[in-house]
Amino acid sequence: MAAKAEAGPGGGGTRRGDDRELVRRAQQGDAEAFETLVQKHHGRVFAVAGGILRNREDVEDISQQVFVKAYFSLKKFDQRAAFSTWLYKITVNECWDLLRKKKVRPLVYESELSEEQASMYLGTEQKSRPGPDVTEQLEVRQQLEQWLGCLEERDRTMLTLKEVEGFTVEEIAEIVGINGNTVKVRLFRARQRVAEMIRRKKRAASVHQRRNQEFAGNEVTEE
Amino acid sequence: MKDRPMVEFSCESFREQLERLPLEPPGSKAGDWRGILSQEAREHAAKCATCEAALGDFVETRQALGEMRRTLPEPGPWFVSRVMATIRAREKQLAEQSEGVWIGVMRLAPRLSAFAAVLLVLGGTWVMELRRAEQVRQQQMRPAEGMFETRPSAPPNDDIIASTYEESQP
Repeated sequence: MAAKAEAGPGGGGTRRGDDRELVRRAQQGDAEAFETLVQKHHGRVFAVAGGILRNREDVEDISQQVFVKAYFSLKKFDQRAAFSTWLYKITVNECWDLLRKKKVRPLVYESELSEEQASMYLGTEQKSRPGPDVTEQLEVRQQLEQWLGCLEERDRTMLTLKEVEGFTVEEIAEIVGINGNTVKVRLFRARQRVAEMIRRKKRAASVHQRRNQEFAGNEVTEE
Repeated sequence: MKDRPMVEFSCESFREQLERLPLEPPGSKAGDWRGILSQEAREHAAKCATCEAALGDFVETRQALGEMRRTLPEPGPWFVSRVMATIRAREKQLAEQSEGVWIGVMRLAPRLSAFAAVLLVLGGTWVMELRRAEQVRQQQMRPAEGMFETRPSAPPNDDIIASTYEESQP
């Protein structure tokens, strides 16, 4: 996965240093420097937006909007935080804005898509990648959306940033704009809720399986 | 060597360690987050039911959300070019907009100056008329005001009296 091939979240010292120079050049109007920054960060911006939004088109639009917005506000960026953190902050805010605008969003409407549309949703690169088929991926996604659906939008974002993207508590605190201790507490509670949902689902599945086995056993004895 | 005193491994330290665990346990320990915890942390979890439950929730959630990584949408190959094209288009649009404002101002300039001149003439005339009317009103008011004014009293004739006195002296 391109996004994962990049350096860790937030960026290490060297990467931050690289970004610093590129940002400085971009602030002076060097479009090539900005293009390099887009090249470096677009995978993760896409992944962060993908963790919050459900629709691929929205993810694509928002990711594009994030870079356009970053370009036009770059002069205001004072480099006190890492460029990547600033970018993810814009991403999260743009996603929340979109969700607020949409207000009532369908939990998972991808399930209504055709196979062709579904593969478009999952991205062009995934077609060439070996792995589970599109339907299976959609089922997984659908299941995850159900589990994450029990959380508030902010908690869902924080949990996704932590467990899917691997951001540290400190980075999440900066991106979401809340205290680090609050992040820890909210993550703890969010995990509790999601884990409870998963366990409930597993229990229900095992009961269902047992019933099916009993039913099959009864049919055999009747024969 | 002296034995170091046993420091109690707190629930807070346990949670802290949990938050610092990598997304994927390295190599042979794949999927075994419990296995990559420190010895102290494992011992603590064995004694503390709350932390053991927290570890259970952590593992359950991380395993489930790990699946999400496979399903995240990825940018297409033309994403960067599209972003840069959008930026260029937006810049052009902004430049045209600011140019458009100036062009509009320049196009309207003769009309605006004619309008300003007319406004100036009309305004000037109006002010002059107002002042003339005021002057006329003041002139008409002056005799009427004179009727009610008290006449200034005549200066005392001290000097005449003094000169008469001087003349009468021998």
